[in-house]
Amino acid sequence: MTTRVMIVDDHPIWRDGVERDLTDRGYDVVATAGDVGAAVRIASAARPDVVLMDLQLGEGSGVDATQQILERLPDTRVLVVSASAEHGDVLAAVKNGASGYLVKSASGDELDDAVRRTAQGDAVFSAGLAGLLLGEYRRLHDEPEPDAPTLTARETEVLRLVARGLTARQIASRLTLSHRTVENHVQNTLRKLQLHNRAELVRYAIEHGIDDEESS
Amino acid sequence: MLPVTASGTDRHDDLVLPLWRALVVFRLVTWCFAVAGVYLRRDEIDHMAGAVAVLTVMAAWTGVVTVGYSREWGRRWPFATVDLGVTLICMAGTVLAYSLDRIHGGAAILTSVWAAGPTLALAVAAGRNGGLIGAGVTSVALVAWRQRITPVEINNIQLLVIAGLVVGYAATATRRASVRLRAALAAQGAAEERVRLSRSFHDGVLQVLAHVKRRGSELGGEAATLGVLAGEQEIALRSLIAQRPQIASGRSDLCSALTGLQTTTVDVVVPAQAVLLEPHAVHELTAVVGEALANVRQHAGPDARAWVVVEDLGDAVAVCVRDDGIGIAPDRLSQAEREGRLGVAQSIRGRVRDLGGRVDLHTAPGEGAEWEITIDKPRDP
Repeated sequence: MTTRVMIVDDHPIWRDGVERDLTDRGYDVVATAGDVGAAVRIASAARPDVVLMDLQLGEGSGVDATQQILERLPDTRVLVVSASAEHGDVLAAVKNGASGYLVKSASGDELDDAVRRTAQGDAVFSAGLAGLLLGEYRRLHDEPEPDAPTLTARETEVLRLVARGLTARQIASRLTLSHRTVENHVQNTLRKLQLHNRAELVRYAIEHGIDDEESS
Repeated sequence: MLPVTASGTDRHDDLVLPLWRALVVFRLVTWCFAVAGVYLRRDEIDHMAGAVAVLTVMAAWTGVVTVGYSREWGRRWPFATVDLGVTLICMAGTVLAYSLDRIHGGAAILTSVWAAGPTLALAVAAGRNGGLIGAGVTSVALVAWRQRITPVEINNIQLLVIAGLVVGYAATATRRASVRLRAALAAQGAAEERVRLSRSFHDGVLQVLAHVKRRGSELGGEAATLGVLAGEQEIALRSLIAQRPQIASGRSDLCSALTGLQTTTVDVVVPAQAVLLEPHAVHELTAVVGEALANVRQHAGPDARAWVVVEDLGDAVAVCVRDDGIGIAPDRLSQAEREGRLGVAQSIRGRVRDLGGRVDLHTAPGEGAEWEITIDKPRDP
């Protein structure tokens, strides 16, 4: 079955280029959108497998779009593809459920590989994203809050090697682990943070008495 | 958004408002003093009805200035001048209570401290000069009614002049501060607007550069060369906008400094939070990483990529410079050491040691080299 892809970006030149590129490589580009409202609306109807999400959508933010799309379509996966995203935005998107991050200048092959892996359910990790996650776990550790997620020694070790630019295969051979185990460790580091973020949102909602969502 | 400025000449007077309110309170309180003065001297006063009439006029006028000084139209020198005129008439009204001879002989002027009101109003409205004019006119009037200058009058004149000067200076200083505050707020607003605009502008430029790079490498030939150039500029611009401003309290951000070293073959990996060190340490570490990267370019082979990773360990900071080049064989390293020409390694170790840090080098043929630099973080002040 071909992978259904949606492209959310406010630059038509980029949307068209990537759409052509992915279609040539056998993907089914089912929808495109240029702003947050349209992205959420169209995604709900088109139900893509993978959404390529730019973080800077004119006046809106891809972080919001990511959160809203995943609220409606929990099985869809969001891959952040951004030109100038600030570290804080990338981190926010990933905490809100995005399963990977790629810079826009990535080559066609890299994009192909990233979309394929995202569709399979893998996390697409660049060294930069690993560095951001290490920093975020450090921040959670420094600001003691109840049930903040922590990394196991092995997960930290793997994440540090990803940050240093080693591929999963190189990490596997260096730590004498299987390739699959390394992938699982990497995904765990992301999943723990997303679960924590969701728990935080729920706690915030309860503490502030927001029972019926989107009433405000 | 630029702050909206109020229209009219009063637009810099926001911060002077408390002075006007204080003036209204001063007028009410000093009117009570005047009443108390008349009551306490009730046995000395020749014509009580005249004194009561003057106090009544003073009460009415206090009501008028309370309204006037609470409105924009009243907080200017013309109204303060009218205030001065009415106050002088009230001072003259003392003749309704005492005979002229007794006034010349030093009988209390009915208005007492209440008469200082217009001097203060002129000082607030027109600064030091306004205060001096008010004090001067009131003093001349005082001496004119009394027709003598004794230490009592000199004392009163001194107090009037000092009050006019001090309040005048205070009003002028406050007004200047208000102007500067507005200028600063406007500048801040403009800077924020510029950052916002440049962010979307940069994003647009980055989009195009990224697109040229992608398409160029697909088309090949001359287009590929253009693509490579676009890719270099894309990374340079992305590093530039990723740089965060230096943070106060005398520390600077190591991540921001190292981000500038990013190129098409060098990835700089940093946490989202700033890593604050003494500026000297940041400068030295940046230089050390620069040396290590220069070494990668010279010795690691043409296709080598490098990663600079900054990690905040809580009480220490770790900086790792790793490349995937040809690496260094152990015998080559020790040979270089024996011949005393370790060059870059010695320089890096020396600089890090001076910062009180540690350096580890892991390398093997075919596995690149990995420099691990750890330095302690300064304790929070």
